[in-house]
Amino acid sequence: MLKLEQVSKTYGNKSEKAVDNISFQVYPGEIFGFVGPNGAGKTTTIKMIVSLLAPNSGKIIINGIDNQENILEAKKQFSYVPDNPELFEKIKGIEYLKFMADVYEVPITERQQLIEKYLAVFEIKEAVNDPIGSYSHGMKQKLALVGALIHDPQLFVLDEPMVGLDPKASFELKKIMREHCDRGRSVFFSTHVLDVAEKICDRIAIIKKGKIIEVGTMVEIREKAGSQESLENIFLELTE
Amino acid sequence: MKEIMGLTKLFINESWGFSKFLYNRTNNKKAFYKQLVPMIIVPIALIPAFFMYVSFNIALYAGLRMINQTSVFLSVGYILTIALIIIFGIMVILSEFYFSKNIEELIPLPILPRNIIIAKFLSILVFEYVFTAVIFVPSLIIYGVGEGMGVVYAFLSLLMFITVPILPLALLTVLIMIIMQSASVKGRQDMLRIIFAFLGIALIMSVQIWFGNQMGNADNVDSQMLMNNLLVNNESLLNTIGYFVPTSLLLAWTLNQITLMSLAWAASSVVITIIAFALMVLVGKRVYIKSIVRGKTIKKGKRLSQIETQKALGKKSHGVMAIFSMDLRLLLRTPIYFFNNVSVVIIVPACLLISLSFIKLTPEDFNSIQNFYTEMPILVNFMLIAFFIFFGATTATTATTFSREGKASWLTRMIPVSSKDQIIGRTGTAVIIESLGIAFTLIGVFFYLPLTLLSLVLTVALGILGSLPILLFGLFMDMNRPLLDWNNPQKAVKNNMNVVITLFVGMAYIGLLLAVSGLLGYFINPWLGYGLFSVISGIMIFIFYKIIDKRLAVKLLNFE
Ligand SMILES: Nc1ncnc2c1ncn2[C@@H]1O[C@H](COP(=O)(O)OP(=O)(O)O)[C@@H](O)[C@H]1O
Ligand SMILES: [Mg+2]
Repeated sequence: MLKLEQVSKTYGNKSEKAVDNISFQVYPGEIFGFVGPNGAGKTTTIKMIVSLLAPNSGKIIINGIDNQENILEAKKQFSYVPDNPELFEKIKGIEYLKFMADVYEVPITERQQLIEKYLAVFEIKEAVNDPIGSYSHGMKQKLALVGALIHDPQLFVLDEPMVGLDPKASFELKKIMREHCDRGRSVFFSTHVLDVAEKICDRIAIIKKGKIIEVGTMVEIREKAGSQESLENIFLELTE
Repeated sequence: MKEIMGLTKLFINESWGFSKFLYNRTNNKKAFYKQLVPMIIVPIALIPAFFMYVSFNIALYAGLRMINQTSVFLSVGYILTIALIIIFGIMVILSEFYFSKNIEELIPLPILPRNIIIAKFLSILVFEYVFTAVIFVPSLIIYGVGEGMGVVYAFLSLLMFITVPILPLALLTVLIMIIMQSASVKGRQDMLRIIFAFLGIALIMSVQIWFGNQMGNADNVDSQMLMNNLLVNNESLLNTIGYFVPTSLLLAWTLNQITLMSLAWAASSVVITIIAFALMVLVGKRVYIKSIVRGKTIKKGKRLSQIETQKALGKKSHGVMAIFSMDLRLLLRTPIYFFNNVSVVIIVPACLLISLSFIKLTPEDFNSIQNFYTEMPILVNFMLIAFFIFFGATTATTATTFSREGKASWLTRMIPVSSKDQIIGRTGTAVIIESLGIAFTLIGVFFYLPLTLLSLVLTVALGILGSLPILLFGLFMDMNRPLLDWNNPQKAVKNNMNVVITLFVGMAYIGLLLAVSGLLGYFINPWLGYGLFSVISGIMIFIFYKIIDKRLAVKLLNFE
């Protein structure tokens, strides 16, 4: 579903690489967690996946499409919610959702149904006719989530999704992620909250200073570390 | 004092992005040179204009000398300077005090509100000094040299130079604070407040001018007498100007002749300036800080019922329309964008119409205009085309299209919209605004000169066709060097070099094209002129479209 091959990225002409020669693969039907401390290179990697940043070298294949060769087709395969969704302040929530439905060419009845459903799930129905400038941080994030969910993407990419969501929304989101994968699609998300990764991910990759240091299921990573410790401890050891 | 200096530096830095610039010098060389090159080229490009301005000033001085009226020379320079300070000051003050978000972060900190106000004011003032140095200092030097002035003149000039920008800027700030305060009734929208501010200032200015007019008129009813007066008494013109801008008298009395009284007048200038500054600080504390603390309320929409929600979503639009309507909404709903990109097309035709209405045209005049048009329609047509293209270029809507989205631009870059849709949607916004300007102008023109249908079709079609290369060039510029890292929308449109570059290049290109095709049409055959104009425009559109279409998708990957 998603495949990274030896991807590297350096910002400007800084000496150290933000992302250093990373490769991994996300399979269909899988929730994949991308775990690492602050500044490890998670956001940078995600931006390269969602065509907001060009890698210096390496390939990114989304659902069989190279995202540097066929940018437009690749963009149709995923939807993305950034860690801090900056949206147009002067635009109303409903206008934003209509815009998203239009550009992803979602049919009328489908968009009406899905938007109705997700607005209810995330409890922002009341605010949908207000300018986004009047939303709180969490509400913006919820709106961005609804906008990302309406076209039912093959790959759902989220950057630190649980930060800033209230517990109910967080719970609903996990449920949605699971349902999404049950239909053979995939979820790729970054987090530094280890509990989350441990509980809901099928597989994880651990990134540190731009390098992938472990990839695998929880069981595999535990075996390697040779202990019954929680991910927390393994993580602390690995990233020391 | 240290705190004020620190804050001033912070504000200047924030509005001009110096930190980012210095960071890029070591960490992102490419971005650094992109910023550096226009910083060097634009001032160099302006040098000829500056020379022209200085030579014009020298000529003016020599002319005034011949009719023995050099006493008004400094006043003319002074009035020009403060007029420009006021015109440009309105937007800058609004932006620094009202659109910048830093104030909300600073108020909770243990900083004296007074210092915030002073620092904001100083951060604007610094650049007004640069401005004054360019516009007013030549006048001071020319006069000083021409009259053979000495050290005392030099010293007093320096003093005057320091005081000149403070007074108008301080009073303007006071005015804006009071108007913004009285307009900020609960729930009132941003846009209304700003329009109110503009109207208020326009009203006060016109009252001022009207008063000046009345008083001026009373003094010299007879033009013969005025001429006599001019020749005999070399102060009467000065006094007339003094009615319009009273402070110009202070300056003239200080510098025109150096006597002991000059010192007294200089001292009173300083005192008045200090009073204006103190007034600004006082009003700022009373009015400005309070209005910020009260917070601004964003008007909420009404609740949508399920049926209304369904209806809002019940239409599928093409990618072009989605991009177009998003771009247009941002443009119309963000006050700064509106005044930069949209208001021109309303204000310019309106000003033109108003000033034309002051000229009293006799039926013979109308006839001669009509005759001129029937004899040489091509000249009138090309003049109209030039005017229409002026709207396309001066608003530079496409030159800031990505910049205007700022940090939210990730959205329009991430979505699967083809380059073609992006180009058409974004250029479409600019064309719509331009068409608005064209419509207003045509309505105005109709009062003086009923155009033939052919003219109407030709000018509108060629006007839009001719402006498309400039619009696409603007898009090309913004695609290559978008300004996204701002937290004050002012920066996206005002501090954006793309606008300047597009304007310069666009004007030069269109001037040349119009001249060539106009001459061709005038001397050989009108249709040859129109034809050449259309063909060249068509080719340019094709080239720019192809370049942008090919590069845009990749460029969008490298915006940060
Ligand atoms: N726009 C940028 N310019 C320069 N350096 C950056 C930029 N964005 C991130 N970095 C650097 O790249 C590294 C990785 O950052 P990031 O991917 O945001 O980490 P994470 O999301 O894992 O916290 C950090 O060292 C950060 O300083
Ligand atoms: Mg991050």
